[in-house]
Amino acid sequence: IPVPGPSLAGNSRVPGEQSPSLCILADSREISSGLEVISCLRAVHGLRVQVCSLGSSDYIVSNRLGVDRLLQSELQSPGNRNKLSQRLQRLQGIFERICVIVETDRVRSGEISRLSQRTQYYDGVLSALVQAGIKILFSSCQEETAALLKDLALLEHRKDAAIQVPTEPEGHRQHILNFYLSIPNLSYGAALNLCHSFGSITAVANSSVPALAAGAQLSRPQAEELHRFLRHDFDLQLLPQPLPAKGK
Amino acid sequence: ALTVGSIVVPYGHVIGNEKWRGSEIAQRLQGKVRLAFEDGLGLVDFLLSNRTCILLISEADLVAGDEFKRRLVKFRNASSLRGIVIVEKTLISDQYYLGVQKLVVLELGMVLLPVANQGEASQLIVQLVSFCVREQGRERGANPFVRRQRAGLAEPAALRSVQHIPGVGKAKALLLLRRFGSIHGLCNTPVSELEQVVGQTAAQQIYTF
Repeated sequence: IPVPGPSLAGNSRVPGEQSPSLCILADSREISSGLEVISCLRAVHGLRVQVCSLGSSDYIVSNRLGVDRLLQSELQSPGNRNKLSQRLQRLQGIFERICVIVETDRVRSGEISRLSQRTQYYDGVLSALVQAGIKILFSSCQEETAALLKDLALLEHRKDAAIQVPTEPEGHRQHILNFYLSIPNLSYGAALNLCHSFGSITAVANSSVPALAAGAQLSRPQAEELHRFLRHDFDLQLLPQPLPAKGK
Repeated sequence: ALTVGSIVVPYGHVIGNEKWRGSEIAQRLQGKVRLAFEDGLGLVDFLLSNRTCILLISEADLVAGDEFKRRLVKFRNASSLRGIVIVEKTLISDQYYLGVQKLVVLELGMVLLPVANQGEASQLIVQLVSFCVREQGRERGANPFVRRQRAGLAEPAALRSVQHIPGVGKAKALLLLRRFGSIHGLCNTPVSELEQVVGQTAAQQIYTF
């Protein structure tokens, strides 16, 4: 008799009752830079936070929404521009929607909070984010950031985009997950969905675009990209560096 | 009544609601952008382009109560313009900020940007206008945060993926992809054919994976 997994708990939709399985994936780097965010999400808001090596965004709050937590000082320094733009462009390739939470830097005790002049550069960065269609939220501390992440997760849950699958595959499934994670522009959430919805990699490879979109909870263009990748005809000539002929 | 949709914003201009004539923000904008006034803007404070507008919420609006919320909801329901809400976040109005953010960004799906005073608001509007101009001028590539479609090569990625199959390293991955073409092709190859390329043990491993 199949035992219902923890994922099924999320399907009950009692109005006004917070789903016990509301789940957020956090990147392992956040353990060092945003520990308070993670503990608040768990302790204050009662969310399930799965820490894993996301690589792409700082948080994943639903099947389609990736969130980056940025310090205000990062947006204020022109030296950071290239890094930031590369990171956000990459995120746009992976997620249907992206959001940045701009968090006020912590003022060290003893340091007098000086009224820093708002720069034209900072306004330019905000304008560029707005124009790129990136959602921006402002937070004054890690506790507030956690509350915003919870709000986002709740909103996505209401829109039926919440992460509903087990987030810790074991044994053989872990290897399969790693295989899916190596596919370009596929989010951690989509890889988990593939693991859960399809019996094998062969089943994924033989699926149509609509079946991939439904199984992995991807948008149509993303499902098309995945479909193309799986059926891409390998051309040795197109490898970046020709491999040295191995004459053993 | 004149609807906002019928006003054409000339390239690089900002159209301000008549009520802002002579204000600090208008004075600071003049000289930096070409500013004209119009009294038919309704709920909108500044029009930046034919599809983008600004709604300003002052410190006084925030303290006065919920009137501004009704105004935002009314705008959202009636207008197809992209609304950017600029809010005066000061020591006094700070306590209201989180509530406003929840309403504007999460519930209404609009953009919210905090400023400390009208001076900062005008500086921000100048930057927003410059991005609207670039957008209209088809210089989309100028925005560092808009994703440029790059046709990345699938070959190195496919090679990396195949190496995640137990027992398959770089050399075997290359052999397999050369012979069977794609991951799809590889998945649909019977074990007997795999054996001809990588040997019995590896073939069995790949097949079960």
